[in-house]
Amino acid sequence: MISRARISILVVSLVLMTFLGPMAFQTRAANADETGYSAAALYNLANSYARAGKPALAVLNYERASLLAPNDPDIEANLRYVRAASHQPSESKSWFDRTITAGSPTLISWLGVLGVLIMGTSLLARWRYPRHRGLRRTAAAVGVALVSLTVCNGVVLWPTLHAAVVLTAATPVRVSPVPMGDPLFVLPEAETVRIRAEHEDFLLIQTNAGRTGWVSRANLAPVVPKTNPLSPVPAAPAG
Amino acid sequence: MRTYFIRRGWLLAVIALCTIAAPAFALAPLVNATIEPSQIVMGESAELTITSSGTGMEAVSLPEVFGLEFRVVGQSRRISIINGATLATTSIVVRITPQAAGIYTIPGITPKSQPLVLRVNPNNGTPTNSAGKPLPGANTSGIRMTPDGSAFIRLVLPKREIYVGESIPVEIEVGLRDGFARLNGLPTMTGGDFTLNNLSAQPERNAKVIDGKPFTVITWHSVIAPVKPGKFSLAMESPFTVKIRTRPQRESMLDDLLGDPFLQNFFGATVQKDITVTSPASDLTVSPLPTEDRPPDFSGAVGSFKIASEISTPAAAAGDPLTLRMHVTGSGNFDRVDSAMLEHLDQWKTYPPKSSFKASDAIGNKGEKIFEQPLIASKVGPQTLPGLAFSYFDPTTRRYETARTAPLSVTIAPSAADSSLAAQQAPSNSPAPLGTPANPNNGLRPDHLAAGVSASSLLPLYLQPRFLVVPSLLALVFAGGWLGLRRQSDPSDRRRMRKRGAFTLIDRDVKEMEAAARAGDAALFFNLARAALLRTLAARWQLAPDELTPDEVHARLGGKSDRSGANDEGGRSGGSSVSDGRGASGSDHSGASDGANDGSDGGGGNGASGGSGSNRGGASDGSDESADIRQIFALADEANYAGHDPTTTDLARWLQIVRRRLMDEKP
Repeated sequence: MISRARISILVVSLVLMTFLGPMAFQTRAANADETGYSAAALYNLANSYARAGKPALAVLNYERASLLAPNDPDIEANLRYVRAASHQPSESKSWFDRTITAGSPTLISWLGVLGVLIMGTSLLARWRYPRHRGLRRTAAAVGVALVSLTVCNGVVLWPTLHAAVVLTAATPVRVSPVPMGDPLFVLPEAETVRIRAEHEDFLLIQTNAGRTGWVSRANLAPVVPKTNPLSPVPAAPAG
Repeated sequence: MRTYFIRRGWLLAVIALCTIAAPAFALAPLVNATIEPSQIVMGESAELTITSSGTGMEAVSLPEVFGLEFRVVGQSRRISIINGATLATTSIVVRITPQAAGIYTIPGITPKSQPLVLRVNPNNGTPTNSAGKPLPGANTSGIRMTPDGSAFIRLVLPKREIYVGESIPVEIEVGLRDGFARLNGLPTMTGGDFTLNNLSAQPERNAKVIDGKPFTVITWHSVIAPVKPGKFSLAMESPFTVKIRTRPQRESMLDDLLGDPFLQNFFGATVQKDITVTSPASDLTVSPLPTEDRPPDFSGAVGSFKIASEISTPAAAAGDPLTLRMHVTGSGNFDRVDSAMLEHLDQWKTYPPKSSFKASDAIGNKGEKIFEQPLIASKVGPQTLPGLAFSYFDPTTRRYETARTAPLSVTIAPSAADSSLAAQQAPSNSPAPLGTPANPNNGLRPDHLAAGVSASSLLPLYLQPRFLVVPSLLALVFAGGWLGLRRQSDPSDRRRMRKRGAFTLIDRDVKEMEAAARAGDAALFFNLARAALLRTLAARWQLAPDELTPDEVHARLGGKSDRSGANDEGGRSGGSSVSDGRGASGSDHSGASDGANDGSDGGGGNGASGGSGSNRGGASDGSDESADIRQIFALADEANYAGHDPTTTDLARWLQIVRRRLMDEKP
């Protein structure tokens, strides 16, 4: 039989690991503060672009800021304002989306880990505390709910994670991923589209109206870049 | 007198000479030559038939005509008896193949024969007269008849140089000689370089005389459009059923009569045949659309178009939907006329537009396409809907054209519901650009002062591989812990689980035993009972069922019931008394109950109930169980090997005992 002390040590270790993890990540992020993303910095950057008359870059940075700070009223209001000024429709979030994205993705991520921890603990407690069946089941339900919250957050954010903003006015959307492809229609500046596929220098996009076509990669900026655009550019070798 | 004889001799001589020479003149053959058909196109052949009437045919030398090739392909001989006279006819069939188009004169076969004329038309199949001009009923577009001249199909194109995507109206004519040909399906286009609109099921029908013969001409009007540039040969083909003569017309004595198709059918002169006829190919040059000066909003429309726009109402309240209608009229490929021009409406909230098309001709090449764009004003006050522009390529002028509409004015009044809000928002929605020095925010909320928490990536943590290590490790730790705890847990729990699994079979066994008891199958019943009891005992003793032998069972049960050895003896004696037949169960249980109740309850045919009664009477379960199980095993052996056959009533009693023993083992 495993002693109660051993189980206690195991659970405490896991709890510590769970809660020390965010601290480690935050410490690492703080060290990389100059190159990391900050919702406030992205928001202020978007405001600057908006004032400078660059709605596409403004929308792009608002979208990025909203990823880090969803439901921030300032980001939401300014994004809506810039879109309206660019004659782009704005969609309101449903109550479900607002609930699921109530916390930042980082917080939601750690809540998912906590859910795994609670589920596992309730599973182990079955052998040590067989009589507390109700308590164990409640804990397991809480764990499942937390993990489900994380999964739903991913589902809700998935379109935004694969979105891109049109950078140039009258961007032609072509029928094929070649520069000489016949144009199907044009995209206005600052419109947000979904990226469906990639082919060399072209991206297959889908508009909110459901129209699809190929757009040159140079005319779009993905909301989640593959590389950090704020990273310092390495200096060119001397000589 | 001498003179009389001399004159008479001359007369006789002349008569004799005539008599002798007459057969010679009569045997001289009559040669006749015909050519059929007298008009062909290049690639076809005509037949020259030389017929000689007489006993023999002189050696016929084939004519030599420059541009024509003669070849003998057959010879036939026919003997006819007319009014008792025998007439022999010999025919030679010569195939004539032209080398070039033109009109050829074939000299007569004999010096007295008339020359023959053969007209050879070029490939386009245009029949010509002697002057080389089209025959009445034919035209320059070409008609290619079926070999028997009963049907044709042709394609009439208005132009031979077109552009990619350009829709051109075409006519497809199918000619059917009345009574000789029937259309079996709609014409189709050969090749896949063009698209052809669906053909109407009710085309035009006109009567026409072609080459002196009556035809019914069916005409379809449609539109074709090329899909790629290049030079193409366009042709149509159509399935027909034609009636073909089974013998040459010249050979029929009823030729004149059978000129009527009904009479020809009546006399069996024709047969039906399914054929596919292809029209003469028409060469088309398809040019690509020019790339220079191509407007960016060009969507592929080729033709001649005009546009106009209108608004449903010039005045509306804020939030009220308006409808902007754009009319595109003209001719061309309307399927490429889209609503892209409506995507640049400033200061308006738009919804997906609807479109409708009204054709003004039967083929849909001309008409009007109407787009209806729902709008909602985003600002209050006088508004201007910008003019719309639509670009297309005009094949007539061979350049891109852009049609434009005039701007439309609309007055948007504040709605009663949010007039106050509109008044507040009006200044911020003024046309002033964002970020003017006078109002740096200009509707924007101010900057955030706090730097906030920094993240190394915009990708959520749960999608970053390095973060996924944490929940994965947790899951592994918990899985390992669960396995370890399970291994060290109380074995009784696992035994209980195993036992529960084993006893799920009990219900099934009981049902099978009930069925066997109802059927009176004693061997099956006791075998099932023994197997179920063995499985139950194996589960109790932590053994596999196949490890449990009858000796093992006896040993374990016997050891268990040592403290009631007398009962065992009684049981055994009872068991031995089973062999006396009918009273087996009764005596068995009398024995079993003897041990429990001094045998006072035993006897008779109530052995089973007596046995159960002894159990309920509080006797040792071990002894009762031992006795029951031993007797069941013994009865199973007897049923298998000694033919023991208890009654259905006995089986029912034994079923109760077995069921009780099995149920006692359930947790």
